Amino acid sequence: MSLAVSMSPATGWTVVIVLGIIWVLLGIYWGRKAKGSEGFMLAGRNVGLSLGAATAMATWVTSNTMMVAPVLALEKGVWGMLAYASAAFGLMLFAPLAIRIKRLLPDGFTAGDFFRQRYGRAGWTLFILITLLYSITWLVTMAIAGGKLLEALGGIPYAQGMTLILTVCVLYTLFGGLFAVIGTDFIQSLIILIGVVVIGVMVIVRLDAGETYRHVAEHQPALLDVMMPVALLAFFNNMLFGFGEVFHNNVWWSRAFAMREKVAPRAFFLSGLLWFPIPIAAGFIALAAGPLGVNVTDASKVGPVVAEHVLGQAGMGAMAGILILVVLFCSIASSIDSLLAATSDLLVKDIYVGLFKGNLSGRVFRKVVAVAILSVALIAWILALSGWNVATVLYSAGGLVSSLIWPVIAGLFWKRCNRGLVLAGVVLGCSTGYYCFFMIEPYIGALSGGAVSMFFTILSRYVKPKPFPEPEPEPSLT
Amino acid sequence: MFSETFFSVMITVGLVWTALGAVTLIALLIRDWIRNELW
Repeated sequence: MSLAVSMSPATGWTVVIVLGIIWVLLGIYWGRKAKGSEGFMLAGRNVGLSLGAATAMATWVTSNTMMVAPVLALEKGVWGMLAYASAAFGLMLFAPLAIRIKRLLPDGFTAGDFFRQRYGRAGWTLFILITLLYSITWLVTMAIAGGKLLEALGGIPYAQGMTLILTVCVLYTLFGGLFAVIGTDFIQSLIILIGVVVIGVMVIVRLDAGETYRHVAEHQPALLDVMMPVALLAFFNNMLFGFGEVFHNNVWWSRAFAMREKVAPRAFFLSGLLWFPIPIAAGFIALAAGPLGVNVTDASKVGPVVAEHVLGQAGMGAMAGILILVVLFCSIASSIDSLLAATSDLLVKDIYVGLFKGNLSGRVFRKVVAVAILSVALIAWILALSGWNVATVLYSAGGLVSSLIWPVIAGLFWKRCNRGLVLAGVVLGCSTGYYCFFMIEPYIGALSGGAVSMFFTILSRYVKPKPFPEPEPEPSLT
Repeated sequence: MFSETFFSVMITVGLVWTALGAVTLIALLIRDWIRNELW
């Protein structure tokens, strides 16, 4: 797999190592602020609007946003672009949830605290199983994407590139905790936004949107069809997938806990607004491939191929490859660091302390956190090296995450429900989601799982409902 | 079929919106820094 690589492996290594050193040094610098468990895991619970919005947005811009959104545009046209952009609604709708999270669990550390307090040990166990499976596979797909990107753009062998990007993210997360993650996310989000605009403008200078439209209308009119059934399914399925992913995952809950109370809802809504146009801009770059005469032999790389073509034509030479590499590297690193931090928080708070009653006093805290981060990274590294098809595991998990949408909403906003029915709905929703994904059509996995869980959650309000237990303050970890 | 006008407006707005996002983040960063509300 390779693009028309416009840089030598030496340049590729140099770019990645320089970027890596910058992130690690910043991680060490910001890490000095991380005092105690609240400092390291939640950046002192005092994060402001600019950093809060940027970290939520940057985390949601994954390699998929930059690589898969163009593919969706290429295959499903306008609806494909809008389908991917619909994932922004998950971030926006997390805003009202963040208000309730801050009020219900002002001392909370993880999403696991919520599930344990609202749904008991059984609900917590279900959540941990689903979220660990999902988060690890998401992390592995990011590591794989990083390795393939460095191989395609920088000529760096896959195993070395994947190890390098994972090591960089582990180092700065290890040194700086959530302070380092949020700080680097801000810089990465700016690089991503500016990079997408620069490439998009370069495309539009050579070919305006009208020319692209006429070319697509002539050669692939189905891509402009308002009533394209599979694209409409993709739109709603992707939206539900996004809701499930954001509503349940500790990546977002830890940020809600980290932000100031009044900041959290505004930051999440703003991050959704900032994220929404990125898949549209990235999708347009892909649709421009045909009219620009770019030969796309591998659809999965259409975005970088077109970007490299237009930047090359603009006389940027080797700088074209470097710009694309930097933007994609940032999009991957901003997700890997968040997943490392949030997943290791679950291992520390929910498993080590919650399940095994472990001690975190004094210097033990940093040692336990370090072991948790390194363990998550090691598992991801082994899976990414094995070549196991984790992408299918991740994409088929739509039913898993969408089954948690309604239990989260009910637990946050309702006063009573039948907890057994809600959890039965989660189990049946997961099963239905998997069945529909593999046996009927992949684009209905999240839809069907979410629908089954919604039915049971609504039913739980009317069949022998019991009040939720009063929320308890979470004790300090150190 | 989506019209050419809709398509052109969507792409243009998408790019301008993305650019405004970067400007907004920088403006908010400066505001938070001045108010000492970064973190």
